[in-house]
Amino acid sequence: MKRAKKPVFFIVALLILFFTYASIFGIKGKNGDNTVTYLKGVNDIRWGIDINGGVEATFSPVTNTKPTNPQIDAAESIIKQRLIGENITDYEVYKDYNHSRIIVRFPWKNDEKSFDPQKSIEELAATAQVTFREGMEYTTQTTGSDGQPVYKTPKGVTASDIILKGNDIVSAKPEIRQDNTTGKSTYVVSLKLNSEGTAKFAAATKKFYQKVISIWMDDTMISYPNVNSIITDGNCEIEGGTNGFTAAEASALSNKINAGALPFKLSATDSNTISPTLGKTSLRAMLVAGIIAFALVAVFMLLVFRLPGFVAVISLLGQIALSFAAVSGFFPFMNSFTLTLPGIAGIILSIGMGVDANIITATRIKEELWTGKTLDSAIRQGDDNSFSAIFDGNITVIIVAVILMLVFGPQNILSFWFGAATTGSIYSFGYTLLIGIIGNFLFGVVTTRLMTKSLSAFSFARNKWLYGGPSESREALLNGGSVK
Amino acid sequence: MKLFHIHFYENRKIYFCISIGIMLIGLIFNVIYGTQLDVNFKGGAIIKYSYSGDIDVPTVEKSVEKAVKRDVEVEINSNVKSADTNAVLNNVTLTFAGDQALSVNDQKTLLTTLSTLYPKANFGLVRSNSVDPTMGMSFFQKCIVAVIITFLLLDIYIALRFRKIGGSAAGLFAIVALLHDVAMVYFTFIFARIPLNDNFIAVVLTILGYSLNDTIVIYDRIRENRRLMGIKAGYAELVNTSINQTLTRSLFTAGCTFSSIATVYFVGLAFNLSSVTTFALPMMVGIVTGCYSSICIAGPLYVMWEKHKVKVLAAENSRASLESAQAKNSAALEEFSEEPVSERKENIAKSANPSAKKNSAKKKPKSKKRKR
Repeated sequence: MKRAKKPVFFIVALLILFFTYASIFGIKGKNGDNTVTYLKGVNDIRWGIDINGGVEATFSPVTNTKPTNPQIDAAESIIKQRLIGENITDYEVYKDYNHSRIIVRFPWKNDEKSFDPQKSIEELAATAQVTFREGMEYTTQTTGSDGQPVYKTPKGVTASDIILKGNDIVSAKPEIRQDNTTGKSTYVVSLKLNSEGTAKFAAATKKFYQKVISIWMDDTMISYPNVNSIITDGNCEIEGGTNGFTAAEASALSNKINAGALPFKLSATDSNTISPTLGKTSLRAMLVAGIIAFALVAVFMLLVFRLPGFVAVISLLGQIALSFAAVSGFFPFMNSFTLTLPGIAGIILSIGMGVDANIITATRIKEELWTGKTLDSAIRQGDDNSFSAIFDGNITVIIVAVILMLVFGPQNILSFWFGAATTGSIYSFGYTLLIGIIGNFLFGVVTTRLMTKSLSAFSFARNKWLYGGPSESREALLNGGSVK
Repeated sequence: MKLFHIHFYENRKIYFCISIGIMLIGLIFNVIYGTQLDVNFKGGAIIKYSYSGDIDVPTVEKSVEKAVKRDVEVEINSNVKSADTNAVLNNVTLTFAGDQALSVNDQKTLLTTLSTLYPKANFGLVRSNSVDPTMGMSFFQKCIVAVIITFLLLDIYIALRFRKIGGSAAGLFAIVALLHDVAMVYFTFIFARIPLNDNFIAVVLTILGYSLNDTIVIYDRIRENRRLMGIKAGYAELVNTSINQTLTRSLFTAGCTFSSIATVYFVGLAFNLSSVTTFALPMMVGIVTGCYSSICIAGPLYVMWEKHKVKVLAAENSRASLESAQAKNSAALEEFSEEPVSERKENIAKSANPSAKKNSAKKKPKSKKRKR
């Protein structure tokens, strides 16, 4: 048998150590004053609300009739608009037409000082005030969580002169318009006003012809179109700027305008809140647990399996690093993943399960050595014989992990039946369990074997005792020779 | 190299008694204390505040009930560790009766009431959980459907996988072992008085996967050893050897997994994190029973089945020889075949003469081969 090259061990081990380092600390550079993240580390992980603290609430309309889909869309847009306006990143909003509910999950902002979830929930659910106002004078300009500027709090004439209110609007909907001459199609928002609104808007468009009328939701400006014609029939169109609206922009704006005319209030039927302090305590606890668990498993592997155990610990490091990398968005082709407490439990659980591949292989090598095989053939036989067992051992857990993800994901295979999910923490568990098992395959099989074979080429690592086999003196005895 | 020599088949009655005993005690507990469902499943409200100083439980109970007009149960955990500071805080948990959610307005009233009652206690919300019963019910149903889907998929996998290993009977015993583990995890929740929540579902599914993989490894060894040891070795010996050979690996893996999750449990306990401990404790039990059921339940059951099959085969073979011997006496045979099947087999066994027995013993290997 051709022995593996000696340097292979060092190359693989160094690669794993580097990968571990990079996945934990990330790789960051300085570009002037800005830190540029080339590779994401543990600090870039998006924590779930059970760690970061946060709110999960289900909003339902208070009404006896079933709301229409556009009404649910409008209600959703209110909540989204407010979350963006508050500069809350990482929020999740799911709507469920069948059950007429909107599920919102958002973490606390890192700099949030006061922790008042009840207030936040009430603010999100409050009835939206949509107004059309003269001019576009605002007090503050900030950047929302979607990167767009947010103009807040009208002042001057914009504050005092309200042209239309939400209840003047019958409907707003996105429409497609084709230019007769160029044939280019653009999206517009088409508005329909009631009779009172028509009269008020006719007067206003006359007064502010070729000037700006801004549209506000609550305290935030959502659009500021120019008046290009005098509208007397209560039907008008809002066109996007120079490039026109995209379909998404047009429907977002019409949803927001519709929100001002919703015939019902929203109320929070469910609410779960977790304080940031509790979350931090949990994270600290899980970190301690993870380190202890790794140490326990590492000591066990070293004591029981000696050299293959040492190799297994390096591989296990790689497996854990893969788990971190898979949630932090380390790989450019994988999105970052919200990590929850059960998710961390999944990583720790897979530390224990993860050595399975190494245990199976090392036990096999040991068995082969005790039957009197040479070291090289024992390693080869051990590798060959253990693969099917490792494969079998993991496939069932993979089935389960995939089901956990499919069933507990936010939009999942059971959504059509039960609606969007409220609890996403198990989803994260399924994901980390799955990554753990995949890592077990990758590191426990591939890198472990490369490293073991390469190490066994060194003369210091030729002693069978290191692999759990009989020591040389014992072996001599077994072979009927004499002990020197 | 050390090898185990444990007589799993011979000790089967002990194992069965242990399992059945635990389940019976669990059932009794279950009947006495009932099954608790978490608020996430049944709806309801639980709110936890941190505070400093001393508060009086009955006073709190009374004023809260007055403020929100619902019965409430007040529980105090003192000396709760916090990650931020070394300061030790006390927590008070308010569990509201009934399955209705607590409106956001009521939650605000609650905090105001408590703060007026004890202005110096500095109440702060730790976590609140308020779930509408219809939402809870739908989540509960979804979880049950998830378990059923998993079970069906694993059954399909078993059916495919066990065609090679030991046939449908072995697959059936693998399912028995799985049900055993689900029951054990369930009773852990009952014993520890943990309300069933989504953690229960996560634990059950994980244990299903974990236990099945253990069982498969053992049955795989049995198949391999059947080739190596030949059919002369009895089933008890075959299965005992196979289990003993895989025992090292089963125990090592279970040990590593168990110690990992046990670490999580004890650290969770130290920090008083119920959401972590209620996950880790059943998982610990599940890892143990998952390993135990594969070794001590699925293995011996398989031997019992094979022994039973051999007996039946012997009976059939002896009947075949009986038939040839009594072919001429058709009248007697007709009378014979009118008897119920089970009785018939017994009768054959009794009436089989020594030569027929010998015959059946010879035929056994052949028919075994056909089975495979």
